[in-house]
Amino acid sequence: MRFLTLGSGICLCGVLLFSCGTEESPIQEGPTLISLEKPDYFPAEQPMPAANPLTEEGVRLGRMLFYEKKLSKDGTISCASCHQQEKGFSDGLRVSPGVGGTQGTMNAMALANLHWQTRFFWNGRAVTLEEQALIPIEDPVEMNLPIQEAISRLQNDSDYPKLFSAAFGSEEVTAERIGKALAQFERTLISANSKFDRWIRGEVQLTPEEQLGLELFFTHPEPSIQLRGGNCGDCHLGFLTSGDPNGFSGFHNNGLDPDERLKSGLQFVTGNAFDRGKFKAPGLRNIALTAPYMHDGRFSSLEEVLDHYNDHIQNSETLDVLILEASNEPQSPNDPVKLHLSEQEKKAIIAFLNTLTDQEFVSNPKFSNPFK
Amino acid sequence: MKNITYLFLAFVLIFSSCSDEEIPAQMTVDLNFENTLNGKPLQLNSETFTLPSGEPFIAKKLKYYISNVVLTDTKSGAVYTVPNSYHLLGEDFKSTVELGMIPSANYDQITFSIGVDQVANAKTDQTGDLDPNNEMAWNWNSGYKFVVLEGEFTHKTTGVRTGLVLHIGRNQNYKTVTQSLTGIRSGRAAQIQLKTVIDQLFLSPNALKVSELPSTTIMGGELADKIGENYASGFITIE
Repeated sequence: MRFLTLGSGICLCGVLLFSCGTEESPIQEGPTLISLEKPDYFPAEQPMPAANPLTEEGVRLGRMLFYEKKLSKDGTISCASCHQQEKGFSDGLRVSPGVGGTQGTMNAMALANLHWQTRFFWNGRAVTLEEQALIPIEDPVEMNLPIQEAISRLQNDSDYPKLFSAAFGSEEVTAERIGKALAQFERTLISANSKFDRWIRGEVQLTPEEQLGLELFFTHPEPSIQLRGGNCGDCHLGFLTSGDPNGFSGFHNNGLDPDERLKSGLQFVTGNAFDRGKFKAPGLRNIALTAPYMHDGRFSSLEEVLDHYNDHIQNSETLDVLILEASNEPQSPNDPVKLHLSEQEKKAIIAFLNTLTDQEFVSNPKFSNPFK
Repeated sequence: MKNITYLFLAFVLIFSSCSDEEIPAQMTVDLNFENTLNGKPLQLNSETFTLPSGEPFIAKKLKYYISNVVLTDTKSGAVYTVPNSYHLLGEDFKSTVELGMIPSANYDQITFSIGVDQVANAKTDQTGDLDPNNEMAWNWNSGYKFVVLEGEFTHKTTGVRTGLVLHIGRNQNYKTVTQSLTGIRSGRAAQIQLKTVIDQLFLSPNALKVSELPSTTIMGGELADKIGENYASGFITIE
């Protein structure tokens, strides 16, 4: 209910503009521009990259490339091997196998609502989705295919040149176009019909337990004013439950390891020692489907994740201050970092996390394998 | 649609035609904010600063709302009230508010508030800088944080790396500031330089010694209101 007025306003504008456009503009050649089907409570000010407008033909090509096993060296895996729709576009494994059984070192990130994210990979090494999409193709522990080889395989295919022509105006296959098409398809992966979404739209009520979980999720605790919180929303922001898109603000050290075992993380990208051990705060849409958790997949269940944040935070030089400072009970400076949630509160947060599951998203035929 | 366009063009022509020799009817005004600590530009996540109570401090985040900006020409009595005026500013974030084309006047006074007013603070279904998807909404129900400062300091007695988390909001901490302006000439593009003095959050009238605080997470209650009193004056000033 809360967002209804705003929503209908936007819809009305859309209709008005649309009708002007169809009456006055001549029929255009080339790919058909489309816009993302997103709810009005997602951030509005997130333009499409000017160099890669979203088109029907681009998305169609991107979807095929996403499921295309020719983009791996031995033709055994595609993007979708590690990003499986039914698992919220993750793979259920601690770390993902590449071609020839090589093991990666990182947990495959779940994909959803990527248009509102600004840095990609756990350490943030890709700035755009277009750039990100090409890297796993060449990565020796992933698809391990030199991009020139990928280009020539697609160029010599009987279908792809036509699809590239429809999407980009000529049959030429380039790395840039592969990245653009994949990015376009990935932008359409919008998850916005979970119970949480329906609650935002005023269509359903949460159970008392889910409601408590939601409030805890979005609250930083302050014991001196009896404010209890789970401290999750400090990093998993807003309706998207994803990281801060500004600069490197969406990267955090969440207390997985002590100083001596901290991996470089964001420091690999920035060179700043203060960024050691920081990883991207992922969006939590469909989180109940995307186990195991953390950049290295070390936790197999949400219960383990909650136990980590509640009881097992490892202090280090770069531990996020919002974790360092968060406790539901008064602390002395030398106390170990503990959140002091009750068992009931941890269960409530997990109940809320389960409301982020979007069955429509994980079964939407638009996102499924086009070769089946 | 076309009629509206013509009407708009007519207005533009009218305005531009009378601006040939005379003072233009409109002028642009930008507000530029510089965030400082210890008299130096703030740097996040790198440089070590010193808190007014003496502790070494590394800032991690600074964000704050400015709202309801009003410019006044006290001599002519001209007043320009910026419509829908809610501006989220911060370090490594926005530092300029462009007011766009506004009626020309020799503005010599600016009034603005730190935080968002009671009306805007009572709902979160808003867009632009009040979009609850940015991290300034407390949650869906209870409005906005007005001033956020996060960082780490070395505790004076224990020597331990300690977090400092100031999330100040609530209607009682909505503070209105009026300052004099100089050098603004009617019809000329104006840049108003403002300085945000982070030290002032800890200074006066309520001196805060962070190593002596029972909790260095301050998100409400008496301590938050004391910080609100501190930012009511001297926190954001005209340079």
